[in-house]
Amino acid sequence: MALLELQDITAGYDKNVILKNLNLQVEKGELLSLLGSSGCGKTTTLRLIAGFSEPMSGKFLFDGKDYTHVPLHKRNFGFVFQSYALFPHMTIFDNVAFGLRMRKCSSSEIQNQVMETLELVDLKGYEKRFPKELSGGQRQRVALARALVIKPDLLLMDEPLSNLDAKLRVKMRVEIRKLQQKFGITAIYVTHDQEECFAISDKVAIMNQGIIEQLDTPDRIYNRPNTEFIAHFVGFENFLDLTSAEGGYTGADGSFFRADAPQKQGRLKACIRPEDIQIAPLGTDVPNRLDGQIMVETFLGKRYQYNVKTALGEMVVSADQEHIYHSGESVTLSLASNKIILL
Amino acid sequence: MNKKALTIGWLMVLPGCLFVVFFMLVPLFLLVFRTFFDEGGSFTLNGYWEMFQSTYFQQVFVRSLKLSLISTAICALLGFPSSYYIAKYSRHKGMLMAFAVFPMFTSPVIRSFSWIVLLGKKGIVNSALMTIGLTSKPISILYNEVSMTIGFIQLFLPLMILSLIGVMENIPEDLNLAAGSLGATKLGTFRHVVLPLSIPGLVTGSVLVFTGCLTAYTTPQLLGGTDTRVLATVIYQYAMSLGDWTQASIVAVVMIVVTVCVSSGINGISRRLNPTI
Repeated sequence: MALLELQDITAGYDKNVILKNLNLQVEKGELLSLLGSSGCGKTTTLRLIAGFSEPMSGKFLFDGKDYTHVPLHKRNFGFVFQSYALFPHMTIFDNVAFGLRMRKCSSSEIQNQVMETLELVDLKGYEKRFPKELSGGQRQRVALARALVIKPDLLLMDEPLSNLDAKLRVKMRVEIRKLQQKFGITAIYVTHDQEECFAISDKVAIMNQGIIEQLDTPDRIYNRPNTEFIAHFVGFENFLDLTSAEGGYTGADGSFFRADAPQKQGRLKACIRPEDIQIAPLGTDVPNRLDGQIMVETFLGKRYQYNVKTALGEMVVSADQEHIYHSGESVTLSLASNKIILL
Repeated sequence: MNKKALTIGWLMVLPGCLFVVFFMLVPLFLLVFRTFFDEGGSFTLNGYWEMFQSTYFQQVFVRSLKLSLISTAICALLGFPSSYYIAKYSRHKGMLMAFAVFPMFTSPVIRSFSWIVLLGKKGIVNSALMTIGLTSKPISILYNEVSMTIGFIQLFLPLMILSLIGVMENIPEDLNLAAGSLGATKLGTFRHVVLPLSIPGLVTGSVLVFTGCLTAYTTPQLLGGTDTRVLATVIYQYAMSLGDWTQASIVAVVMIVVTVCVSSGINGISRRLNPTI
């Protein structure tokens, strides 16, 4: 059974419904990311789990118990804020010790655990400083230490790295992942950064307009999107309207494509990434052929990107620099059959 | 900054500076200066010595200090919850703040007269107390320290509330949530997060209220009796009724010293509660 379960959760403010009948399961020890653009409901979901707000309807089960109305301070969930939310009037030591003090731990126990946790996040020697004397990355680690020291049943993180610079972000996400795996903490991580999300997660839930569009492992999300929204989201730029035919699919102009994925029936949408389309001079004999004319070529450093006008719409193709085509040239495209995704 | 801008800047602050120097610093200096010299022009501390020897002045001094401190404490106690509500929970912040400062729109004279009507032997307060049976005959709450304290509180509570709201509004909601997620109850969050972070507002408010109470003249004059004089009314008495400007100056200097001492005392206490301010 899943450790955490959201059942038919509807939530929002006043008449403004943000989550609609949301269902979600998280297994013990896994790190699940909620990914989506702003306003998709990911932060609302996280805050609801944390106990900052209550749903309008639906149930939240944790470890088999109904947590829907358990007050915030009784949940024993660690929360890492985007703003870090460190207590500005307390030293780093007192910040980290706060949760233990609220649990009435003995002072020797507090001393030991705080120092141990500060060492874990590489902040030994900073315990007498105040938050404003620390850099962004250090504050972030204090926030993490403060949430970890209470040995939370669940660790919730709300875009914890978005206020850091790019280099530090990469470093910190590895740190977070290491700590999470070391202690086997179940964690939920909210982000709008796809790369960060794929790098850190066991599972990813992609949210759109208050519902979860797909919940899967990062590689399945990346390679096998379920919906057009997700395909767009993870970088599929070419979409084709196809109709099923004997042994494959036909486009509106009669062109024929084979796809390795199991055959589907009727009218459907297919998608493919720019780098999975081969480009060749016009008339080259290639499988899954589609002819077109180059409209724009864009130099991207390592590769060239071509926008190609075809009978099935504009295709974005990414190719290496072995042969460079120029706008106005007619070309033949080849869509890799094992890379065509049927939606 | 270039030279021209600097010159213009100086020209702009000059009128204000001149005003402060000639109408405040110079008179203040003269006032303090004269209290240290006797009529013959030789230096002496006798004025102060005699003043503090007099039982009458001792009573006035203690009473002023006591009433101001009590009023400040009550303003803090009353102001804190209302400010917190207005700053954090209210949907009608603007309206409630207008209500809070509304008493300041009328003059202290009018307000004091209203209190005379309310607190008198046949006033609403006494009638109400007798109706519900808390007392059988009217209690005396006018022309004494009680009515003065009530007057002070009404006069200066808005200052406390405004100072507190300004600070409380800037406490991020995330801090309360963070405290809660770490296991703090509402009360614990208040005690460990909201209260210490509100200290700067409490300091500003307390200093304003305390100095206000200590220096207020109208309220103690109208709501106090002849046996409950305070420093401000005593200054008037010395200067206007007795024509003794030296004595009046001495009381004024004492008042300034007390204000400065208590203000820094309040600052000291608050620094203990919140070391980062």
